[in-house]
Amino acid sequence: MSQRDLVAELRAARIAAPPELRERVRLTATRDRTKAPRRFTWRRALVVALPVAAAVVAGVMLTRSSDRTTERPLVAHGERAATNQGSATLKAAPSIAAPAPSSTRVQRYGASLTLRVPSGNGVSNAVKSALRITRSLGGYATSVHAGSQGRAASASLRLRIPRAHVAAAVSRLSALGTITGEQVDIQDLQTAIDTTTRTIARLQRRLKELRADPPSAANDARIAALVTRVERLQREEAATIRSARFATVDLHLTTPPVAHHAAGHGPLHGLLVALTWLGIGTVYVLALLTPVVLVALLAALAVRWIRRRREDALLSRS
Amino acid sequence: MTSEMTFAQAAEAHLDDVYGYLAWFTSDRWAAEELTAETFERALRLWHRFDPGRGSARTWLCQVARTVALDHFRSERRRTRREQLAAPPERTDAKFVEGLSPDLEAALRLLTAGEREVVALRVVLELDAGAAARMLGISPTNCTTRLNRALRKLEEALHVAA
Repeated sequence: MSQRDLVAELRAARIAAPPELRERVRLTATRDRTKAPRRFTWRRALVVALPVAAAVVAGVMLTRSSDRTTERPLVAHGERAATNQGSATLKAAPSIAAPAPSSTRVQRYGASLTLRVPSGNGVSNAVKSALRITRSLGGYATSVHAGSQGRAASASLRLRIPRAHVAAAVSRLSALGTITGEQVDIQDLQTAIDTTTRTIARLQRRLKELRADPPSAANDARIAALVTRVERLQREEAATIRSARFATVDLHLTTPPVAHHAAGHGPLHGLLVALTWLGIGTVYVLALLTPVVLVALLAALAVRWIRRRREDALLSRS
Repeated sequence: MTSEMTFAQAAEAHLDDVYGYLAWFTSDRWAAEELTAETFERALRLWHRFDPGRGSARTWLCQVARTVALDHFRSERRRTRREQLAAPPERTDAKFVEGLSPDLEAALRLLTAGEREVVALRVVLELDAGAAARMLGISPTNCTTRLNRALRKLEEALHVAA
């Protein structure tokens, strides 16, 4: 008998299940309450949905945190005067109300303003406006430095403004851009001037006494020394009062960092960052899990090999 | 077969195949009946795991039947070992396939369970080499080699009988 005839004979002798068995299986099948098998399962959906949701949440959180602006209060430092306007935030107050100098006391007033302007042209225009404001208030600029590099530009101005108008000047200058930093320093000089005035008066009284004394070489020398000292104190006092008439305002103008734009902080930036971190995390997980997976794989292969050997031994009997 | 096939439809369509496979595998029709009933009981419990995209219902049911049969062989081996201590084992001589020539029936008894299984899958159920190999957990080439070896053994036995 050829192999083909053998196969034909084997196929011809097909076995049919006896009726009793068919009935038993039918009875078993009537207990079937399960639905048809589904391709879509919640487990499969979660495998896809969880990483996507994590990436979206991380992206949204990172986008929000990068947009958030640090709120910094306006703080004024001074030897005697310290003003704290904690409620004034940079975004909420485009122009600040600087503390006004005293009209009755001699004070040294200094302010520093850092503003962000959107472009290089904006810096140039802001410099012109600052100088115009300064002149209109009776002040002048002691130094102006401006420069640009690519799309980034910056300028630094030192302005001298009459003390009486400094509050208005700070308010108008702060409106030239977005405030990113400011500082006000007020130093009271009245006490020192009062002390100097009293010293001069005392020295003059002493001078008057010396002049009333009989003339002598020693007396003349004392009078000359006192006169020199009184004149020096008077000059210093006058210089202090003169310098205090003008407040010093340092104005810094900058454009936003170019690298900030180049990084592409668009709406998808957060998502990109999240995906990058997910990628880094995946690499770490793979690096940690690969040896474990390899060992598990080898163990599974060994178990499978042993099981197959046992199975072969079991089925090798007739 | 569509993916919406119910268990009852699958059972009705493939009962003969499962029973035939088990009869060939065990070479015992009475045992095959019991194992077939047990196979469908187990298949009913596992039906929610059946994925039509990964194979036909017939192949899946035969896989379940194979697991049941292997369990049966293991328990039989344990039982036989115990009984061999008390009395010699009984030999089942009943025909498990009707309509075969006496020489072929005698030749079939020379085959091992593993050889009968591959003949049942590839010749009787007409599974392709890939599907049969997946069921047996071996490569298609190995499956074809096993089949050729079994058929050659049958041929030789028939030649000796002639």
